[in-house]
Amino acid sequence: MSAVGPEIRPVQARTRPRRRARIIAPVRRRFGLRTRLTLTFGLGAAALSAVLSLVTFGLTRENLTSQRERSAVDRAAIDAARLSPQLPESPTDLEIEQFLRELPLTDGTAAAISYADRWFTTDDINFSSSAVTDSVQQSVSGGDAIKINANVGGTQSLVLGVPVPALPAEYYEAVPLSDLQRTLDRLGLTLVLASILTTLGGGLVGYWASRRVFAPLLDVGTAAEAIAGGRLDTRLPVGGDTDLDLIANPFNEMAQALEDRIERDARFASEVSHELRSPLMTIAATVEVLENTREELPERAQTALTLLAADVDRLQQLVEDLLEISRFDVGAIKLHLEDVRAAEMVIQAVRFLGGGGVPVRFEPEIGEVTVRVDKRRFGRVIANLLDNAERYAGGATAITIERVNDRLRISVEDRGNGVPFEERDIIFDRFSRGAEGGNRSNDSGVGLGLALVDEHVRLHGGSVWVDDRFDGEIGARFVVELPMVEQPVDTASEPITEAIPIT
Amino acid sequence: MGTRILTVEDDERIRTAVRMALEDEGWVVEEADTGEEALQAFTRQPSDVVLIDIMLPGIDGFDVCRSIRRVSDVPIVMVTARADTHDVVAGLEAGADDYLTKPFAPKELSARIRALLRRARPTEVGVTHLRVGDLEIIPDEGVVLREGVELHLTKTEFRLLVELASSPGRIFSRESLLEKIWSYDYFGDGRLVDVHVRRLRMKVERDPANPRHVITVRGLGYKLQP
Repeated sequence: MSAVGPEIRPVQARTRPRRRARIIAPVRRRFGLRTRLTLTFGLGAAALSAVLSLVTFGLTRENLTSQRERSAVDRAAIDAARLSPQLPESPTDLEIEQFLRELPLTDGTAAAISYADRWFTTDDINFSSSAVTDSVQQSVSGGDAIKINANVGGTQSLVLGVPVPALPAEYYEAVPLSDLQRTLDRLGLTLVLASILTTLGGGLVGYWASRRVFAPLLDVGTAAEAIAGGRLDTRLPVGGDTDLDLIANPFNEMAQALEDRIERDARFASEVSHELRSPLMTIAATVEVLENTREELPERAQTALTLLAADVDRLQQLVEDLLEISRFDVGAIKLHLEDVRAAEMVIQAVRFLGGGGVPVRFEPEIGEVTVRVDKRRFGRVIANLLDNAERYAGGATAITIERVNDRLRISVEDRGNGVPFEERDIIFDRFSRGAEGGNRSNDSGVGLGLALVDEHVRLHGGSVWVDDRFDGEIGARFVVELPMVEQPVDTASEPITEAIPIT
Repeated sequence: MGTRILTVEDDERIRTAVRMALEDEGWVVEEADTGEEALQAFTRQPSDVVLIDIMLPGIDGFDVCRSIRRVSDVPIVMVTARADTHDVVAGLEAGADDYLTKPFAPKELSARIRALLRRARPTEVGVTHLRVGDLEIIPDEGVVLREGVELHLTKTEFRLLVELASSPGRIFSRESLLEKIWSYDYFGDGRLVDVHVRRLRMKVERDPANPRHVITVRGLGYKLQP
């Protein structure tokens, strides 16, 4: 049994959070954390103020009612007590009415005397004998003082009955409770309003608190975004708040570790390429010396020299490309930007950097369009695209320069087999040559050409992609898009140099 | 006697390979593996071209360049590790005429040296005497006078001045100057022109910060103002 336990546990441990997540997730998706915090504060305040209001209301009503009853009972007793000394033994109707009239009644209190089953009252309309039920009258005439709540003439009143011992009479008073009710209504309204305000206040506090709590989290997000965007030296401020430091410190440690690692990798590539250059230099020079005496060599040695020379060229290109790529990675590229006429530059690239007879097509007004580029690097972009067409598609057929909105497009077309749709993105990855490239066993490319094109173009604020040919026939079209320069600057006197540092 | 080339390079294998490649071109090559040795060799017998690696133990390539420049207008090619560092501009400002980045093909070096040597013999301008403002240029003698006083220009600076002076007032694009003086194509490094113009101004202008003769034309290039 005990052997089974440890096997099961990890399964449980794995399923539990998943189930929890499934329950919580919909709520999370509907409301953000800030909304939920605000709502929690608001609802908490609402519940608390509701309870407080109800208790306050209940206690106040209890208090006011009993106070009112007590004073009413006292008054009725006093009034009733005056009855026997002031009335004669057999009072006439007039005398009773006289007595009632002289009672010092206040606040709408009505009084009545039931004498020998006859009803005398100060308020004929509202406080008639029907206001007091027979059973009540019987209890009072039986000698019990009573106190009931009754509706007297449409007003909720406290009706008090007091027996008068010396006379065959009962004394009644109806004390209206409407003013008390009004007071309680007003209190209730006030409490409801206060509760609403408290709820709103709670919500506001919640909102403010959530913002306060969230601000550092948003900072973390911004910092993470900056790091993802390549600014690896981004750090969170530490030392402001001990609680926040619990997030900031590990975050900064993570960023530092990441920066160190990326730098180490990039520096390694850079150093390797750097170290390769000296021996390569010697080899290249030596091969050239051998080439100068080629005729004196035996035939086998000549063949070997041909192979050597070709691969030395290839190795040299590879090291150069690797160096350039690793410069991108450590952010050590410094562009030497100049404003140049795009069309002229492309024509010159075709003329000097390969692609001999490829026609360059553009509308006359394009001839004046200026772009801001590092001429040497952008020349390589065109050269690499021409070279790519040469290697995989039998050479470029045309270069077209056109204006699309406020950007300039340079398209290099070929009549190869085209680039399948699913390869159009990965073709710009390092050492990825696509199916077409991989088929060439005699391929002398190194697979960095298009990756460099991509990096260079992006550094120039442009983009590069593969498309179909303009005429829709089989073949590929590599498009480089660059921002155009509106106001050419004086590059002759002050070359614009742009550094993109990482460290 | 053949053209003499002094190569300063601390890596023995590279030095030997480059020497052999240059010797195949028919040039006499003298080697130095430190800056000190290079200066001694140059003092002993000035060469026609100097090739200096910037990264040297002891006194670095910039200092060697400056020291040679103090006593000679010999064409200097420097070798840097990278094209996009400040090294290039610093080297040019130290007095170098051109640069190459490692690894370079010896054929490229030979081409650079030939361009420099060609330029060191300014005879193709058919004019014997040019006068621009207070400057007096005698191309055949390689002499520039300002109010009768000779200015010491390097051969490249002189060539640049003569080129600009061949049509005073005409705007020369940097590309055309690169082609005429350094034999570079369109993709040559424009900083060669910029730094040489700066160096030229330091020598021929009374107030190099407000040049009166060698004028920058916004976005187009340079011209010589009479």
